[in-house]
Amino acid sequence: MLLPSYYDFCCRVKTVSGNKALEQIPGLLAGMNASRPMIITDKGVVAVGLIDIAKKAMGKKLKIVTVYDNVPVDSNYKIVDDAARVYRQKKCDSIIAIGGGSAIDTAKGVNIVASLGGSSLLEYEGFGAVKRKLNPLVVIPTTAGTGSEMTLVAVIADPDRKIKMLFVSYFMLPDIGVLDPRMTRTLPDFLTASTAMDAMTHACEAYFSMEKNPLSDSHAIQAIQTISQNLLHVVKNPGDLKGRAALAAASTMAGVAFSNAMVGLVHNLGHTVGAICHVPHGTAMSILLPYGLEYSLHRASDVIGELLFPIGGPDVYAATPKKERGEKAIELIRKMNQDLHDATGGKHPRFLKEIRDRNGAQVVPESVLETLAQAIMLDGARMSNPEEIYPADALMVYRHAWEGTPINRKKIDKGGKKVKW
Amino acid sequence: MNINKYPEIVPGHKFLKQFYIGIMTWTIGKAFQVMYKLDKNVRAEFDRLPANFMMMLCILPEDAFKPFFYAKIMPDFVVNYGLLPLGVPMILGKDKEGKLKYMGSDKRGKKITLKLCMKSIDEAFRIFSFREPLAVAFNHGIYIVDGDLPESLAFVRAMEIVLVTLLPKSLAKMFVKRYPSWKELPPVKKWINRVLLWLRVYTVG
Ligand SMILES: [Fe+2]
Repeated sequence: MLLPSYYDFCCRVKTVSGNKALEQIPGLLAGMNASRPMIITDKGVVAVGLIDIAKKAMGKKLKIVTVYDNVPVDSNYKIVDDAARVYRQKKCDSIIAIGGGSAIDTAKGVNIVASLGGSSLLEYEGFGAVKRKLNPLVVIPTTAGTGSEMTLVAVIADPDRKIKMLFVSYFMLPDIGVLDPRMTRTLPDFLTASTAMDAMTHACEAYFSMEKNPLSDSHAIQAIQTISQNLLHVVKNPGDLKGRAALAAASTMAGVAFSNAMVGLVHNLGHTVGAICHVPHGTAMSILLPYGLEYSLHRASDVIGELLFPIGGPDVYAATPKKERGEKAIELIRKMNQDLHDATGGKHPRFLKEIRDRNGAQVVPESVLETLAQAIMLDGARMSNPEEIYPADALMVYRHAWEGTPINRKKIDKGGKKVKW
Repeated sequence: MNINKYPEIVPGHKFLKQFYIGIMTWTIGKAFQVMYKLDKNVRAEFDRLPANFMMMLCILPEDAFKPFFYAKIMPDFVVNYGLLPLGVPMILGKDKEGKLKYMGSDKRGKKITLKLCMKSIDEAFRIFSFREPLAVAFNHGIYIVDGDLPESLAFVRAMEIVLVTLLPKSLAKMFVKRYPSWKELPPVKKWINRVLLWLRVYTVG
């Protein structure tokens, strides 16, 4: 165990999990003195009938005041302001967010404006702008991946300025996270795969981040192990509720790990691909994860080597010499991507050049890689990675991730000292 | 109960550390100002930021470390007093023409858009006496208290360039995750900049 000279850790979200978890919500809300919740969700979630399941489960004990389902794929502040207006008009006193990362982030934003007043979310941009407790917020994730139910961050876009605003505050942590396998059962196989790989990335990056600490490590290790053991089975058997519950738990644990230890280079590269080429976050993560590990391997070979235990299991770990454990772990993650690619009939892309949109057009053309490499400097995730990355290095990584070839580790610039945690 | 038996605890003043850090923040602040003129990478980082950019690097608790104060009696018994340019907080901002300037350590009358705080004076001392790499410090001991991420990223990036130019390799290595290779920063350029930088920090600024 690495014991840093200093660390901090905070996790104060009550988690309710199980086959009957949704039924608990009315009681939990009443415990927080709230009785008029507003549901925030998106049209996709409504279309597959999840809102009906949730409403039915909560039953007559709780009156849902209104369902706001206008959340777009990328949450933006105008929607937040609009929802906050509805919240006030209907005199709601709490929020239930049902959906993926975008719906949850929108709900966090709405909660700021609705609780603190003001006309627009723009007044609360940045760090430290939210300074007091907000109204009750219950989060029901419908994808097992983002871990947003455990994080104190919301990323909300400003379409006019074409930027993504970051909102950070401990007060934005949800009060309750509800993990009910009924809510993730309808997730299609390729989305199950990519969102789970996002959670996997959170856990791996938290484990070798500069901010790792013993408390985040334990969450990360357990999350990696759970995903490695369950993901392929769930993708092949979508009705496996037990496996679904395991993935949801893993995603939440990964959320705890990375909200305390931060993410690194994989998210840095992935956010950039997402912002410029609109690649779904989970897809970018699953492709870039092995490359991020490979690029940082020489800096943190011992730490990355330890990942082999939860990924490969005790037998593989014991049979692999210490020096080769890092490389073996990376190899197994690549294999996992390959297996998911096969199990989803090719819908889970392995390289950047394989990503196609609905019309079959290539999403990341090779010509855009240069632009991507320059843009990585604008993302905060680069701070916590143990190895430095500049545009020239990023271009090299992107080229390999595009083509699907492993990085030539001899060519990585290795100047500087070994990291001390 | 005699309340006077329980006096309020006043935080101790670590004057030597404060003085040392004051010299360092003054030097580095000036170095930022000079490097803005010398190096196009530093200039690019700050030019991207809004015109009202004004940042402060300070130590928590924020008000415990006042700027140094002096008072002296002039020949005709007039008391001359004022603030020394040395102080723990380091304020950098854009002037009217949009150029980066070191603005001293007195925050009164300035609108700070980005506030970075170091956890304690001991943490600050560890950083400025080169015992803790900047990357580690940013993860453990420096917090963004107010402001935006892009601004603090620009500051960190520029800080790395400034320190690599200002300090000898053995010290600068502690601050950056990876010391730039010959390709990234040709030694000739580094040395010309280093000489100019040290000359100008103590002269024209
Ligand atoms: Fe992620």
